[in-house]
Amino acid sequence: MPNKSGNVYGLTILSPIIDDEKATPSHDLQIRSYLAKLSTREDSPFALAPGTHLARLVVMDDVIYVGMPACEEHLKSKYLVFESNCDGDLDNYLSGLAASVPEHLDAIWKHCVGYPGAGNRQAFIDYMKACQIETTFFFAAVNDKSLPETLRALQTQTAVADFIATHQGMEPSALQREFTRFVTHLKSLPIPRPGSMGPHRYIKTGGRNE
Amino acid sequence: MSKLNETDIQGFVLRGYNLPVARYFFLHFEDATRARRLIARLLSHITTGQRWDGAKPQSTVNIAFTHRGLKHLELPDATLLTFPVEFQQGMKHRAGILGDTGVNSPERWESLWREDRVHAWLGINGLTPEALDARSSAILSVLDATGGATILGSQDAAAEVINGKPTTREHFGYTDGFGNPDYLGVERSSQPGQGKLLPDGTWAPLATGELLLGYADEAGEVPVAPVPHLLASNGTFMVYRKLHQNLSTFRAFLDKHGAQYAGGKEKLAAKFIGRWRDGTPIELSADKPDPSITQDSNLSTNFTYGKDREGTRCPMGAHIRRVHPRDAFGFDGRLINRRRITRRGLPYGRFVPEGEPVSDTEERGVIFMALNANLSRQFEFVQQQWIQYGNDARLGNDKDPVLGNHGGHGRFFVQGELSPTNPPYVCSNLPDFVELRGGDYFFLPSVTSLGMIAMGLVDPR
Amino acid sequence: MSNINGKVYAMNAITPMKPWKTWILRVFFFLLGHIKPMQKDLVDLSFIEFARWVVLPRNGFPFLGKGQSQEDLKYDYLLFFSNFNGTWNQYIDAFSAVLSKGLNLVWRWSEKFPGSVPVTLFKEYIARVQFDTDYYYTAYPHATANDVKSAHIVQSSLDCLSQAAEHYNPQQFADAYLRFVLQVQAHLGETGEAPVAG
Repeated sequence: MPNKSGNVYGLTILSPIIDDEKATPSHDLQIRSYLAKLSTREDSPFALAPGTHLARLVVMDDVIYVGMPACEEHLKSKYLVFESNCDGDLDNYLSGLAASVPEHLDAIWKHCVGYPGAGNRQAFIDYMKACQIETTFFFAAVNDKSLPETLRALQTQTAVADFIATHQGMEPSALQREFTRFVTHLKSLPIPRPGSMGPHRYIKTGGRNE
Repeated sequence: MSKLNETDIQGFVLRGYNLPVARYFFLHFEDATRARRLIARLLSHITTGQRWDGAKPQSTVNIAFTHRGLKHLELPDATLLTFPVEFQQGMKHRAGILGDTGVNSPERWESLWREDRVHAWLGINGLTPEALDARSSAILSVLDATGGATILGSQDAAAEVINGKPTTREHFGYTDGFGNPDYLGVERSSQPGQGKLLPDGTWAPLATGELLLGYADEAGEVPVAPVPHLLASNGTFMVYRKLHQNLSTFRAFLDKHGAQYAGGKEKLAAKFIGRWRDGTPIELSADKPDPSITQDSNLSTNFTYGKDREGTRCPMGAHIRRVHPRDAFGFDGRLINRRRITRRGLPYGRFVPEGEPVSDTEERGVIFMALNANLSRQFEFVQQQWIQYGNDARLGNDKDPVLGNHGGHGRFFVQGELSPTNPPYVCSNLPDFVELRGGDYFFLPSVTSLGMIAMGLVDPR
Repeated sequence: MSNINGKVYAMNAITPMKPWKTWILRVFFFLLGHIKPMQKDLVDLSFIEFARWVVLPRNGFPFLGKGQSQEDLKYDYLLFFSNFNGTWNQYIDAFSAVLSKGLNLVWRWSEKFPGSVPVTLFKEYIARVQFDTDYYYTAYPHATANDVKSAHIVQSSLDCLSQAAEHYNPQQFADAYLRFVLQVQAHLGETGEAPVAG
């Protein structure tokens, strides 16, 4: 099933953008302008909604003319490309978007033909599926770990490196005590926020170099 | 491929002269006409790549230009614009890309390099200090006679002399001078481990075009070069970097960690670089230095990392593994063939034996010079991706232990095994052992090209 | 507009294909998807986080009516979306150096493709058919594909050790801890900012 690789879904959506000469600026430019100001970090709609590893939005103006002897041709509409690499089930993912960040979805997709709004969950999902293109071949470097698992693992990696560095040469019973505390503390930490530049260093390892 | 015309290529490109003393003058051109006359007069001094099948000459002379230098020589604008962007900008403006930040940032460079005034590098190498002085005087007379340039500054460099013989040791105590690539047509014979790896495990010389402009490179094409062809062919680009070494900090760090590391101080020193301090590759001799390997050119660079995937012999982040990964990335080493550079250069400053007091503020370090056909694809790539970063070595943001600009926060993992003398070990809080004091990018033209520049005969096309 | 977020680059490319060639490409992708060893090189070139090809037939552009004009095209189109670590030049240099045959099998059906070797013409073609990303999000901008893979190894080793640790006396623990360090010792690089692209 080409849209999927393991547990990751390769969602490709092309939404035709409204072509209205009377709109100033035109709808594609309005989308661009909105996207230019949208946060790409922890406040991104894709950070606030669940399940997105990586995603992009691209206003595709036209096909590209590669030069003679290829023929020159043009699209009649512009398209908003939404490429997402996300966890699991398509319906759940789309529902999650509609539930968490409807204002952003509406602000972007209202410029597209036939968009029903995120308020009507089923209409929204049907609309997205109507614009979905099947991914022919999808490659994922890691395809068996969810987003929360990935963020947690990255947090663990930093914490473990710190622990090993600061507990070098410690004698066994102290090491075991420190390790137990470390694991308990690490488990108690919340999963880092998606879209952030790295796990915060909450951990006081209490090692020799503190 | 066509035979190289060694008389057209500056000797500095083709040969490590192994002359133990050097003086580098940095020139500034005021007037283009007088500058061109200077170059015309210097032509007869320039050492070419012709082989010294008899004795070494007493001294050698070579010259290279920055982009602003070429501009002051009044090369046509259309020609100047065909030089690669990074060369036009100069090394100072590439500081962000190169990781020349913090202690390495241009604000902290010597004034010679902070101001954008260096137009040319004039490199003199000598067999003895007397020969060096004599040649320098001769060159200075030419400068005086033509009024072709002012001297902004000079830099002396010299090999460490031990028991009356020049060595290739540098200040941290490592024996340097291994691993310059072999190029097709340049060397008479190829040393295993220096060229590119073939699928059957043997080594072959790299394409000439990785070093010299105007020849096919490893990508199977003659790469884009400045025009006209005659200006660029048989020339190359040179990186010049004055790297100050904090010897006191390095020795203290090595002493402290060497005492804690179960393999001992010398082994730890070997783990940083990937060679024991005498030059033995740790990949070939995991427990001790071995002169029989170091002194045999069939062995001293002849190794791969295929059997050491986890870095237990040579750490994943060791210097030589970072800058010449060999087969460590898989694909029979094909990902690294276009990332090689030729190194020249000498240490500068007073040598102090181990155990004697030494201070970080004393002037000492290495004049690092690298030659390559393409600055951004070769030197800049290695500096940015493999020295100041570690993703290709699967080490995330970790930097080269000795060259990295750690700012006191660096970390170096020595991967180990279940062995009392080769355990895992981590060095934390790595300081800056090396600091950049300045430098720039230069173009080292062929002899023909120098003649054209001297006569003002460069046309764009 | 940015094609870059943290350590990852979003490349978009579109190339035209004569429709009779499209089915050949579909067969190749089918094989690639089902014959795992063919993907080995892609996996070993470990700087791709996610990548996809989308064959868009000429009558496959979504048409929703409601005033939208229907497309009337001669060519099918091949869309390519990649999320990779490193610079644009680094990425294409690597592919050209080691995956040229595979690249040719994908793109030779596109009009005016010059071949993936030598690299300069290949880069010119990509520059021509690439279009820029307006908005790029990654949940882990500070981590590359290598960092993520290493992180999972560290997590799973830690989980094993912490489960077993409860039952050990200190000496047993110290031994187990050493073995744990050996498992993770090549996977502990820091994460953070990407090098400046210039």
